[in-house]
Amino acid sequence: MNLEDIIQETKTYYCLECGKCTSVCPVAKYDPSFSPRAIIEGALLGFEDELVFNRELFSCLTCYTCKQECPSDVDFPIFVRKARSIAQDNGQRGICAHSGQLQSLARLMTSPTIKQKRLEWLSKEYSVSENSDVLFWVGCAPYFEPIFEDIEFRALDITEASLKVLNLLGIEPKLLPDEKCCGHDVLWTGDIETFKKLAEHNAAQIKEAGVKKIVFSCPEGYRTFKLDYPNYVDLDCEVQHISELLAEKIEQKGVKFKEINKKVTYQDPCRLGRHLGVYDAPRKVLESIPGIELVEMKHSGWESICCGTSAWTNCDSYSNMLRTDRLSEAVETGAELLITTCPKCQTHFRCAMVDKGEEHRSTPRIEIMDLANLVANAMGERK
Amino acid sequence: MSNGENGRKSVLVVGGGIAGIQASLDLANMGFKVYLVEKLPSIGGRMAQLDKTFPTNDCAMCILAPKMIEASSHPNIELLTYSEVEKVSGETGKFTVKVKKKASFVDWSKCTGCGLCVEGCPVIISNEFDQGVGKRKAIYMLFPQAVPKKCVIDKKEERPCKAACMDACPVHTNVPGYIKLITEGEFKEAYKLIRETNPLPACVGRVCYAPCQEVCNRGEIDEPLCIRDLKRVPAEQWNIEELEVPVVAETGKKVVIVGSGPAGLGAANDLALQGHNVTIFEALHEPGGMLRVGIPEYRLPKEILRQEIGYIQKLGVGIKTGVQVGKDITLEKLKKEYDAVFVAIGAHGGMKLGVEGEDIPGVTEGVGFLRAANLGEKVNVGKKVAVIGGGNTAIDCGRTAKRLGAKEVTIVYRRSRAEMPASEEEVIAAEKEEIKIEFLTTPSRFSAENNKLAKMECVRMKLGEPDASGRPRPIPVKGSEFTIPVDTVIAALGQAPQTDFVKDLGVSLSKRGAIEIDPKTGVTNVEGVFAGGDVVTGPAFVIDAIAAGKKAARSIHQYLNGQPLEPEEEWKEPEKFSQEEIEDRKRRFPSRNKVEMREEPVKERVQDFREVALGYSLEEATEESSRCLAGQIEGCIECHECERRCEPKAIVYTMKDENITLKVGAIIIASGLGLYDISSITEYGYGKIKNVITAMEFERLTAASGPTMGALKRPSDGRLPENIAFIQCVGSRDFRHKAYCSSVCCMHATKESMLAFEHHPGTKSTIFYMDMRAVGKRFQEYIARAKADYNATYIRGRPGRIEVNPQNDNPIIWYEETTSGEVKSFEAELVVLAQAMVPQITQDLAKILGIELDENGFVKIPDKFIQPLDTTKPGIFACGYVHSPRDIPDSVTQASGAAGRVAEAIAGGN
Repeated sequence: MNLEDIIQETKTYYCLECGKCTSVCPVAKYDPSFSPRAIIEGALLGFEDELVFNRELFSCLTCYTCKQECPSDVDFPIFVRKARSIAQDNGQRGICAHSGQLQSLARLMTSPTIKQKRLEWLSKEYSVSENSDVLFWVGCAPYFEPIFEDIEFRALDITEASLKVLNLLGIEPKLLPDEKCCGHDVLWTGDIETFKKLAEHNAAQIKEAGVKKIVFSCPEGYRTFKLDYPNYVDLDCEVQHISELLAEKIEQKGVKFKEINKKVTYQDPCRLGRHLGVYDAPRKVLESIPGIELVEMKHSGWESICCGTSAWTNCDSYSNMLRTDRLSEAVETGAELLITTCPKCQTHFRCAMVDKGEEHRSTPRIEIMDLANLVANAMGERK
Repeated sequence: MSNGENGRKSVLVVGGGIAGIQASLDLANMGFKVYLVEKLPSIGGRMAQLDKTFPTNDCAMCILAPKMIEASSHPNIELLTYSEVEKVSGETGKFTVKVKKKASFVDWSKCTGCGLCVEGCPVIISNEFDQGVGKRKAIYMLFPQAVPKKCVIDKKEERPCKAACMDACPVHTNVPGYIKLITEGEFKEAYKLIRETNPLPACVGRVCYAPCQEVCNRGEIDEPLCIRDLKRVPAEQWNIEELEVPVVAETGKKVVIVGSGPAGLGAANDLALQGHNVTIFEALHEPGGMLRVGIPEYRLPKEILRQEIGYIQKLGVGIKTGVQVGKDITLEKLKKEYDAVFVAIGAHGGMKLGVEGEDIPGVTEGVGFLRAANLGEKVNVGKKVAVIGGGNTAIDCGRTAKRLGAKEVTIVYRRSRAEMPASEEEVIAAEKEEIKIEFLTTPSRFSAENNKLAKMECVRMKLGEPDASGRPRPIPVKGSEFTIPVDTVIAALGQAPQTDFVKDLGVSLSKRGAIEIDPKTGVTNVEGVFAGGDVVTGPAFVIDAIAAGKKAARSIHQYLNGQPLEPEEEWKEPEKFSQEEIEDRKRRFPSRNKVEMREEPVKERVQDFREVALGYSLEEATEESSRCLAGQIEGCIECHECERRCEPKAIVYTMKDENITLKVGAIIIASGLGLYDISSITEYGYGKIKNVITAMEFERLTAASGPTMGALKRPSDGRLPENIAFIQCVGSRDFRHKAYCSSVCCMHATKESMLAFEHHPGTKSTIFYMDMRAVGKRFQEYIARAKADYNATYIRGRPGRIEVNPQNDNPIIWYEETTSGEVKSFEAELVVLAQAMVPQITQDLAKILGIELDENGFVKIPDKFIQPLDTTKPGIFACGYVHSPRDIPDSVTQASGAAGRVAEAIAGGN
């Protein structure tokens, strides 16, 4: 794969260099050396090395804001993804945050010999079933706890709340005993080889499980299964985000919710919103809980602003500035609670709000919670 | 040249824009007969909407109008505007075309294009020609220079009611019209519209007996409209002191009116507006007649009356108060000094009871009692008051007595409630104020104690056979006598006219003393002497008196002009819904109860003379007026106001569409361009952010004959912006909308920046472009001029987002300056979006013509190089924007080309 191939595949030659992409890019707003238009311009002029060895290639959040706006239908995020695979081939992998732990985990899972105790966290409180035709995808939540202890984020809270919600809806899902990383992050940073191995493993596991539907609490896993896996493996399953499942149930026969009197605002995750077009389902769920008042941030829905970091790569002070401004928007709504439907968004926002020193003291702060936790509270006994 | 066999030498041109006009002229000059079909009421197309044209910056209309006139007056061109092509069959040399001429509801053979109809129409709609910036009426002319210069009525659907209100009203006020204006918040216009037929809207809006409400067909669905209560709204929501006084040519004729009641005022108003010199003589010291001295303050505050009489005086009517004709001056003298006389003295004489003891002090007569009370004179009211009578006067006496200190007030009426002439609303109001009503009772004797009135003996009545008035005759019931203790008795039995003085002139009177007139014209048996109102009919209602005054004024005007007296045409009877219509309306319109008029609480209001009815708030008025069935539809509500004002009588409500068949030899499609709806381009906020407008809206703002007369006022606050941003390619060159380039926007944005500077020197324009497409002659120099002389700056970059500064409504543009790679924001006072332009031809029309369109909707041209004007169907040629994006000169060039192709196709043969 070379640059010319990528340009042909993504039809980047249609670019009119109008700069619309850059004018809406959340990274370009803070980082003066990042310009999607300039990256394309350089690529079209044939400057392959400048593209591949540019640190900025890994700064793109692949949030799809530019793709949404482009009048020439250029798919910049996919262009970036493919360019990153050339970069990987040249030993470039961007600047990996958290000492590269998350990237290493994904790669470790491709080893045929190293085994995981994948379901050790599961308690008797949650009912699962071997015979269900609905699978719940756990994702990397079990690994987050030790890595993000300093920001006091237990991602398994989301997983457990999701299971509880499913149980209360009358579903006892199946869990894969040997689930491996969906591969989202390695795919988007260009490590196609690792991604393929993970995809093949997961597809085989799911086939063996014989389920008809997979429910996700993480939009990145959801997007990967829905849009990316079909290009690499055979998957004969329906996939759905838990917010969509909830919205469906609410529509069909109503779901009983307790009253929760809170003013909330909602962060549309890039993968759920712009990538997959799911804007209404989470809102419908929020509006169905009595007492919840939803106030939208200044930029919401298709205009929603990314949480600032993608694939644990190139996370820097610009990312922090981005997040801080987004938190300001959340606080400005007057809401008491910021609801999101993505564990990554929650991780990144919590990171910004943790007091790590002088420059963090003035970061706007707001309580943040996943939709699954809110719904679990509203549906059943308090957790 | 004749039309040729089968119309071979005739041509159909579809589309009356500049291309269609040019092609028509070329062909007509060659001798062919041309039918120019245009779907709008006038030819002119998009060019008529523009302010100026590039690159010369000539006024668009100045160039277009001569062409339009030439086309309309050319002997070989037949204009078929407000028409559409419905069917085409045949082939080159012998096409048969069916054209539908849409009903304009205006007879164009009579319409002079004067526009008086437009002024009166109460329906205000968004104006498509002005791109929604301005408004138009339901009856309208497309633009001032329209060719043909005719009006059309935009009737979108049938009016769902009968407007029975207008038929029932004695003066036939345009009720649906003024109610519609109230719903639209146009209070000045509503007041003016009511005043066309009724010079006292705020007064009548308080006291009218509302025959309109009796027949209102809304009552078949839920409840009739509160038409009367709505009538007072315009005067409350708008300051009627601001009503202008029209300048009217004086006729030099002098008219005298005896009596300043509603009949006299009605006549005075109309005569003054026709230019006559009017003087009113009023016996009392204050004008108004029964409005002033009969109806109490709590029903009609005298300040309101003073204001509305004041306007009539502003028209030049002189009112001489304190002069009683017949005593202070004779009627004979007036007849000599004036050119016409109108006697409207009303019926102010009280009637005697004819009961023993009625001379005891304490027994008074109703009309005199009310007059004294209303003029603020001292009246004697005791604690126990009885009022004899059953009309509104009796109720007024009772409620007035209560307010003057009576502890107990009893009304004694000889028939039952059903026969009581007083209005139901008044009776209910009296009962709320704890006034007792003794039905079927008559006083038989009054007696005094210690020289003071103490007792009233009464006898019960029963109803017998009908008497002369048609009502059951009351018959005393023997043995039913009883006594009511009273200290005051007010007899309100009726009112008689006091007309002795007219005998001097030989005016004939009836037995009751009423003046006899010809009921159709208001003239008495004496030439030049007219009469109307209560003096003719006996006590009746205010609106009847006004109607009589207006009728007399009409006759007086004819008399003064030496014309024979001809009455107005009779109005039809009010119509009721059929059962079917009731079912249909109930289905279509959800039931909504009327908005009750709020009143002062009873306990407080009886202590003084404050007005009882509180009037409608703005919300209540809008709510109630929006119940009117006529106003439920968009477009014409058939209120007949245009018909009333049209002098050539050109309005034809019953007009139908007409179908014409044409035989032609060839067809040219020149239907021009449409404007892409850019509200779907959500990142720019068009439709949400006020100060983001389209280029065509900008053209309408700067056009001298546009909705703001050429003032470039920005939408949010009407300010003239000094910092304008233009964004190019909005919807064009965009795979998500229109992938093609619209061709003219780079140039028109440059033009618009120059116009902005000319309108407001110093204005800075910033044009955000992708490429500047300036391919025509002198176009590149045009852009250079804009940069050099008109403060225009060009920035290369396509903005991604427009947000708004909430403090001043300024749009903020986010863009990347591609030449430097910086992401910046730019705050402007106004943003103009160069909207994409689309071919204006529907799939349906293409199918009718039998031609194909390409994937963007432009006419498909199979052989672009050799026959670039030929469509996919032989004999049909295309030119102008519908062919492909191009400017005016190129459209005109193609039009001449198409004319050439047509001539080639049909030149041979007979």
